Amino acid sequence: MSISRRNFVIAGSVAAAGGSLVLSACSSGGGGGGAQGGSAASATYSKVTVGTAKDSTGPAPQVPGARKGGTIHALGPDDFSHLDPQRIYFAWNSTVANLYVRCLTGYRIAPNGSMKLVGDLATDTGTMTDGGRTWTFTLKDGLKWEDGSELTVEDVRHGIERGFASFTTEGATYVQTWLTGSTDFRSLYKGPYGGKHLDSVVTDTAKKTITFHLKTARPDLDWALAMHSYGAVPVAHDSKEKYDKDPVSCGPYRIKQHSVDKSMTLVRNTHWDPATDPIRTAYPDSVVFEFGPEALQATDRLIADSGTDQYAVMAYSGVPAERIQKVIGTPDLQNRTVNGLLTGLYYYAINCRRIKDVKVRQALNHAWPLEQIRSIYGGPSAGDYATTILSPDIAGRVKFDVYGKLRNPRGDTAKAKSLLKAAGKLGQKIVYTYPQGGNDAYDKTKVVIVNALKEAGFDPVVKPVESTSYYDQVGQIDNTFDVMWYGWSPDWPAAYTLIQPLFDGATIADNAPNVSQLNVGWVNSAIKKDAGVTDTVKQEAAWAALDKEIMAKEAPIIPETYQRRYYLYGTKVGGAQFDPLFSAFLVYKLYAKS
Amino acid sequence: MLRFVARRTLSALLILLVISALTFALFYVAPRDPARTACGKLCTPQTLALVRHNLGIDDPLPVQYWHWLTALFVGRDYTGLGRCPAPCLGYSFTNHEPVLGLITDRFPTTLSLSLGSAVVFVLFGVGTGMVAAVRQGRALDKIASSASLVGSSLQIYIVGVVAMYYLSDQWRLLPRPTDAVGFTQDPAAWFKGLLLPWLVLALIFTANYTRMTRSQLVETLAEDYVRTARAKGLGRRTVFFRYAWRGAMGPIVTILGLDLGYLLGGAIITEETFGLHGIGALSIKAVRDNDLPLLLGVVLVAATAIVVANIVVDAVYAVIDPRIRLA
Repeated sequence: MSISRRNFVIAGSVAAAGGSLVLSACSSGGGGGGAQGGSAASATYSKVTVGTAKDSTGPAPQVPGARKGGTIHALGPDDFSHLDPQRIYFAWNSTVANLYVRCLTGYRIAPNGSMKLVGDLATDTGTMTDGGRTWTFTLKDGLKWEDGSELTVEDVRHGIERGFASFTTEGATYVQTWLTGSTDFRSLYKGPYGGKHLDSVVTDTAKKTITFHLKTARPDLDWALAMHSYGAVPVAHDSKEKYDKDPVSCGPYRIKQHSVDKSMTLVRNTHWDPATDPIRTAYPDSVVFEFGPEALQATDRLIADSGTDQYAVMAYSGVPAERIQKVIGTPDLQNRTVNGLLTGLYYYAINCRRIKDVKVRQALNHAWPLEQIRSIYGGPSAGDYATTILSPDIAGRVKFDVYGKLRNPRGDTAKAKSLLKAAGKLGQKIVYTYPQGGNDAYDKTKVVIVNALKEAGFDPVVKPVESTSYYDQVGQIDNTFDVMWYGWSPDWPAAYTLIQPLFDGATIADNAPNVSQLNVGWVNSAIKKDAGVTDTVKQEAAWAALDKEIMAKEAPIIPETYQRRYYLYGTKVGGAQFDPLFSAFLVYKLYAKS
Repeated sequence: MLRFVARRTLSALLILLVISALTFALFYVAPRDPARTACGKLCTPQTLALVRHNLGIDDPLPVQYWHWLTALFVGRDYTGLGRCPAPCLGYSFTNHEPVLGLITDRFPTTLSLSLGSAVVFVLFGVGTGMVAAVRQGRALDKIASSASLVGSSLQIYIVGVVAMYYLSDQWRLLPRPTDAVGFTQDPAAWFKGLLLPWLVLALIFTANYTRMTRSQLVETLAEDYVRTARAKGLGRRTVFFRYAWRGAMGPIVTILGLDLGYLLGGAIITEETFGLHGIGALSIKAVRDNDLPLLLGVVLVAATAIVVANIVVDAVYAVIDPRIRLA
């Protein structure tokens, strides 16, 4: 079984299969798109930039040779868990949300995979004043809901305010926290249903503006607002809990039919005006999702390429390890693939509460056998070696290799041993854990990990945890593990969404993502300082420097891989492109060939 | 007969009650928290408490069970989601549907899969077994016996995948399995969509029926009363069908009843292999999603199918074999 819908860390099952879901949050990137075959090293990473008002105007750049009409089919193992924008966080839900949800901002993705943050509902990416504490957005003209009614600033505000309601616990919480200054924001405001609006969000219907007054400076509010959790919802048609079943569209498609866990059909929203949309092209008349086929089945169907499968794509589960060599080794099939890196980072968190000596943590980094691990995952087609905390898709990320893992990916056990000796910790016991039951790849990698650790002078003890309770157990502050397999995906392509949740000592709590439990004064203050820098270039440089400094001075994690995924599509599908944000197809760019 | 059915129904209800209580208790023994999934990425203790309240899992376990039990008879109101009328099996928060609705939505696939394959494997299994018994010791018997040995050692998750790969994808002899079209919508498309799963399921189940039929018939044909029938000068056909066959069918019916009960409870591996959306696939989803109400629902359906199948088997057995008395 390929998935375990747990947490928002990257699913344990993803790593080696390459054929399951990214259970990560909305995130971003500029991975190497296009059909690049197995040459993982050929991936290029485009800088993520902020677009202008001109970039924010529609229609979206057209796909050469595309034709309108027809139906695109998408095959996926599971239904979407949420359709209500305020309850959407998982990447695979966003694959469909892209078709009917629109936010103030969004990402315009070029054919080469580079991304620009642009105004989606807004005319641009907003105006920041007061050092990042106040942001104002103006709505475009001609925005309509699927029933033809006008989409207003009140609808945008309603989407923000719904994020405080008691039933939208699954969604993102950044903006709510920034607006109220508290992580317990629901105790301060309970959502829009009592007739009360947030004082900190002010709308001007005449001017079509919405202004956010934040408690702290957030120069990255425009990025956060691109998350589907902050999508607009019509005040007049909000059915609260029931909205999750029947959301109203302001995008190019509306949901016509949905049979839970079986199928979903989206058809054109005739009230969507392409002139307002700089992101979506929307060529097919309808998009049909079929739920059920696991990655292997879907791959075999697309290899066979018969009937409607000629118009089909793999919705969000990629080509599994069993078929990857066949697919990338057969030219006809390889030409029908897109691939790219998953957003975020897979790593081994070192429990700094237990392993207090930095030299021991550094020794673990030196010893870790990345090459052996990756070859078990499937070799270069499974991903690239990771050496930094920031993944390649993060704006401003600078590549470095403190522990020489790119030069010597097999690990330097001699160096590790000397460090351990210097620390007087030869024979140090290391309790290593990983999720067991979801994917047998970790059962295989444990062998090479144990061998490397023994060679480096450690005393490794392996204690796997059943995959369904894995994140609960490693999330406990007083857990008894020293090294824990883990993964994290950013919510927007800024370093803050990786470094702050993972390494800010203030966030340490049961079930919090800082499983390394790093709590170091200089790191905590650097995070606080960098987050408030309003100059984008300076901020990016500061984060990149902090990334390297944390790895060199604290070594709280062992970066593993930036994972790659391949997707297959039918012979009559055009416009196929890897989505660097949600690590699947950009469904709104696909077209059905005649 | 009526007393028998009433007594068995009562004991069946008791069994189902015990099963539901056990499932309830076992679910909470597992070290995982259903609330965590709905608690968001940066889950705070306050949000976690709110989710627990929303899911109705902040009450003590016996209270939760009592709510679930009473809802079966009087229905239940879910804040913001409306009323779940009796018999209410609970509300699946993961799927945003009442559990009963999800199950009834999936049942036609399970029913089609079970009955369709049963028709094939009973016809082929019993038929081959009969031929083998009549031709005992000859080539046909040996072939049928060996084939059934091979068949019974096959596994659906291997045969199914191989059959789909070659028969559907490579040679395109049979359509890819699908349950998208129901029997009432388009019987021909329904038939085509389920043909491959029926055949694969039948391939595996047929073997048991062939072996069972053969051995039962061989045994019965050697019985005194059959010999007497022959000695009376009755025709071969009459002896075979009216005397031997009827006597041999008892154990076959028992196995068929249990197999049907098992299949109606959800053929998990079959459904997963062929990507079908029946009760089996639903039960896997319930486990994966930590969805207690749905899990209870599918467990009860499976248990009911098996319990009912047992009652039916006992009743039918008595009809077939008058020597059995329903005491």
